[in-house]
Amino acid sequence: MNGTPRGVNRVLLALIGLVFLAGGGLMVAVATAPAFAAAWRRQAGRWIQELRDAAGATGVRGGPSWIWLVVAGVLVLLIITMLAWLAAQGRGRTALLVDSYRTGTGPGVAGRVVLQASVAEQAIRNALANRTDLVSATISTYEFRGQTGLKIRLVPRQGAAPEVLAAEVSALVEALESLTGHAVPVVLSLASGARARLTRKERVR
Amino acid sequence: MPGEYLEQVLRRETHSSRALPSIIAALLVCVLALYALLESMLRALDQPAWLADPLELVAAAARWPAGTSPVLLAAAGFVTLLIGLMFFLAAILPGRRAKHVLPHPRLAVVVADEVLAAALARVAKRAAGVAREQVTVVVTRHSVTVSIRPTSGIGVDTEAVRRAVDGELDRINPLPRPQAEIRVAPIGVVGV
Repeated sequence: MNGTPRGVNRVLLALIGLVFLAGGGLMVAVATAPAFAAAWRRQAGRWIQELRDAAGATGVRGGPSWIWLVVAGVLVLLIITMLAWLAAQGRGRTALLVDSYRTGTGPGVAGRVVLQASVAEQAIRNALANRTDLVSATISTYEFRGQTGLKIRLVPRQGAAPEVLAAEVSALVEALESLTGHAVPVVLSLASGARARLTRKERVR
Repeated sequence: MPGEYLEQVLRRETHSSRALPSIIAALLVCVLALYALLESMLRALDQPAWLADPLELVAAAARWPAGTSPVLLAAAGFVTLLIGLMFFLAAILPGRRAKHVLPHPRLAVVVADEVLAAALARVAKRAAGVAREQVTVVVTRHSVTVSIRPTSGIGVDTEAVRRAVDGELDRINPLPRPQAEIRVAPIGVVGV
């Protein structure tokens, strides 16, 4: 539940994958098939000659060709695209859970309500702190499609009943809702981790 | 089920975001582009090349396989092919995570298959009357396999285990609903 651009990831990965596949396939084919290698040398030799002619013809006052500046510009654009793509991964954490503003015209009191994300995070974490069937609880706040939501990630002890946990977290969320007066979408993820696997399944009570 | 918003969230929770292969691919392309940028800027400024002149590099590729060892070229090509295949498959495969959705009126709930397996193992263990080490549960998207190694000399009531596991699946109600299969090993164990 974060802002990772999944469609962009798929398209760019497919494009980059295809480029690498084509390059690798060319290298393998040239190295193993003599007939293909001959055809490749003929075709590529022609391209190289054209490239050399172009580089020679576009020289600035007998100096180096401006083609290299164009190549450098394209490469800079490519690098910027890649950095923007990197920065877009996993974005979406937010610090505000509620930021509502009401003018005096409608019913109710006019004013602005701001709730920090840590209000909900700490309330839920404290409510879950004494449970013996949980190994850990992580609560984070995300903004996804313009709406703020809570993500509750619980690592239950082995053998804990998932439907019971879901019901109890639901009751907690409803209590929080009536406390703050704002309903937020909530994702509950029951995960497994090394600590759940290695700690004892049941505690002696 | 929750609203359309939570449906979208559930889809994202049960599918991989491909963030890791994306980061690797972006860094790889960045490094290659930075090197090419350096060489082409040196060329544009009429300076000597650092490792190789870009035009000469391309010309050398056009003379393949002359000038290189065919074995080396094939090996390098194979590695490049594998890297490309990795990225391409990461892009086109569905990327489903080992998780099930629990229908809930208020929350979007996803549960890891391992958590589901542990819950089913608990009821199977109780119904079979064996120790926890004698029960193995494997949960996949459409199936649950419960393997029980009975204690030597004591039979396991397969039907009771099946009822217990099916009952627990009904209570948890994961989506998509997997089919349970109970396997009792023909050989028993002593003192696990």
